[in-house]
Amino acid sequence: MPGKIRKRSPLKLPDKPYIALGLEGSANKLGAGVIKHAPNGSTTVLSNVRHTYITPPGEGFLPRDTAQHHRQWAMSVIKDAIEKAGISMHDIDCICYTKGPGMGAPLTSVALVARTLSLLYNKPLVGVNHCVGHIEMGRQITGAQNPVVLYVSGGNTQVIAYSQQCYRIFGETLDIAVGNCLDRFARVINLPNDPSPGYNIEQEAKKGTRLLPLPYTTKGMDVSLSGILTSTEAYTMDKRFRSDGRADDGDKDIITPQDLCFSLQETVFAMLVEITERAMAHIGSKEVLIVGGVGCNERLQEMMGVMAQERGGQVFATDERFCIDNGIMIAQAGLLSYRMGFQTPITKSTCTQRQVFRTDQVHVAWRA
Amino acid sequence: MQTSSSSTQLLLASSTLISQGAEAASPLRISKVFKARLHPASRNDAKNSPDEFVLLKYRFNKQYRHPTLDGTLTKARVTGEARAIVKCQRAGVNVPSVRMVDASEGVLGLHWIDGKSVRFLLGGGAEGEEEVDESTVEDVVDEEEEEDLLAGYDISKGTIYTRLVGRDASDEAVEEIMQKIGTEIAKMHRADVIHGDLTTSNMMLYHPRSGRTDLVLIDFGLAYTSTLVEDKAVDLYVLERAFSSTHPASEDLVTLVLKAYEKTMGKEWKSISRRLDDVRLRGRKRSMVG
Repeated sequence: MPGKIRKRSPLKLPDKPYIALGLEGSANKLGAGVIKHAPNGSTTVLSNVRHTYITPPGEGFLPRDTAQHHRQWAMSVIKDAIEKAGISMHDIDCICYTKGPGMGAPLTSVALVARTLSLLYNKPLVGVNHCVGHIEMGRQITGAQNPVVLYVSGGNTQVIAYSQQCYRIFGETLDIAVGNCLDRFARVINLPNDPSPGYNIEQEAKKGTRLLPLPYTTKGMDVSLSGILTSTEAYTMDKRFRSDGRADDGDKDIITPQDLCFSLQETVFAMLVEITERAMAHIGSKEVLIVGGVGCNERLQEMMGVMAQERGGQVFATDERFCIDNGIMIAQAGLLSYRMGFQTPITKSTCTQRQVFRTDQVHVAWRA
Repeated sequence: MQTSSSSTQLLLASSTLISQGAEAASPLRISKVFKARLHPASRNDAKNSPDEFVLLKYRFNKQYRHPTLDGTLTKARVTGEARAIVKCQRAGVNVPSVRMVDASEGVLGLHWIDGKSVRFLLGGGAEGEEEVDESTVEDVVDEEEEEDLLAGYDISKGTIYTRLVGRDASDEAVEEIMQKIGTEIAKMHRADVIHGDLTTSNMMLYHPRSGRTDLVLIDFGLAYTSTLVEDKAVDLYVLERAFSSTHPASEDLVTLVLKAYEKTMGKEWKSISRRLDDVRLRGRKRSMVG
């Protein structure tokens, strides 16, 4: 392009096909995926298997039980992934696992599986930052070059942009994550956790008509979400609230759970789109990439699309296969750093649930 | 623009949109900024008086937002910004005075400041330049024009342009700007207004041709009222970070700003200074998720 100086990518084309196995288990999804980087530069997803720990309505997932679920399913999920990819464990170049951030117990149980496989088959380990996994997967699937990334999931809400071999966080939530906010509200109105609470909120919101006033709390490029959750919950104690959604005596002035889902989504997503827009304006980018579990919400994608269009830009999003936590994203980010010569020695193959391993702590060696 | 015939819309239609890279434009560029005259009659007789111009900050409709939500938000933000500015003005802070408010249309009219941002004058480059690596960075001002614009910025003795070439923090001109910055921020904080986005792009110096030398704080889009030491300290911390990301040798500059701030702030400074040290240690404001 004229006037543009494209820096040469430090990542060289592979001299042989590389295959990586990715293991993800930072929250309630256990994922295993196999990805292949061919010498011509193309990337193929060979398999992508996931098993989700689903709790009864009104309950969230606890670390201990989630870890138990992962231990129980690890063998069959990995076996399934290897079989679907049509390869054997010996063809793999490296085993990538989620180093963090996430829930402690599930992380360690998956890391243990990764270490065991690494010793059994004598394969190098690569520890991967969960957030960077999401971003790299999103870039790979959508083909977005240098987008502003909105990373929205149950544990994270961040607006990220790439700069000098680092994914810089421009804005983020000051308290709870957006997925956490939606999931917890789903629990309040007793929506099922199957397939996911966020999906059920989205479906309910489609039936909502009334926009109720909720706090709108963007602070510069950051957002605060906990107060909105409290306010939405407070409406369920309101005299006008009908949990069955039916007006008994032709009364028009009622609040239904659908209205609350609708209002919650409209308010929270408007805030997210706004901070993304600020980040785009700040760095002068026209591409947006939405990743993370909440990213498969079609209303969020639609709103982001309208915003991007207003600015003459474009939005990139993926569907639930790649948006929601999966093994492929870990394999993709892990293989990229493995090809740059990065490995995690077994003595250092720890996990961290803390945000000390933040998105901007990762050295993105494979980008210019 | 909508085909509405309200007087505000007519005013917008008759005004010129300022290019997005312009200094007066908000660094966030979420709103559109126009230059206009409130009294069309004065168009002929007062050609050389820049005081006649107003700056219109237009928060246009965001199509992605629910219309009801968008309406209430825009109204609240326009009135909020206007209130913060008026409050500052009462406290004697140099701010552009409010000329008109149309909250339902999302338009705020401010006194036009004929000048340049401090960021520009200190050679901080175009907005957002340091973050952009691959995309096009259009330098809005070419060399010749720059010379012309900067000539005659007379702060103490000699032009500021010649004094800024060395970019030495001990230089009187720079020192004087830093003092002005510190004083203005202190005045604002004494009125319990928190700016929320203190950067050198949000401070302007009048062009010498206007005959004024004051430093003006602009863009109160993120401003709010607070008496808390914490909020004031964070406000200063934001400024510090903005300095370090845009200007070389910023530590000396910030020290100068804080010295002037301390002088105007008086005894409240002690607690703010202590809190500022705390805020600095925090690095990023927090490191855990919920």
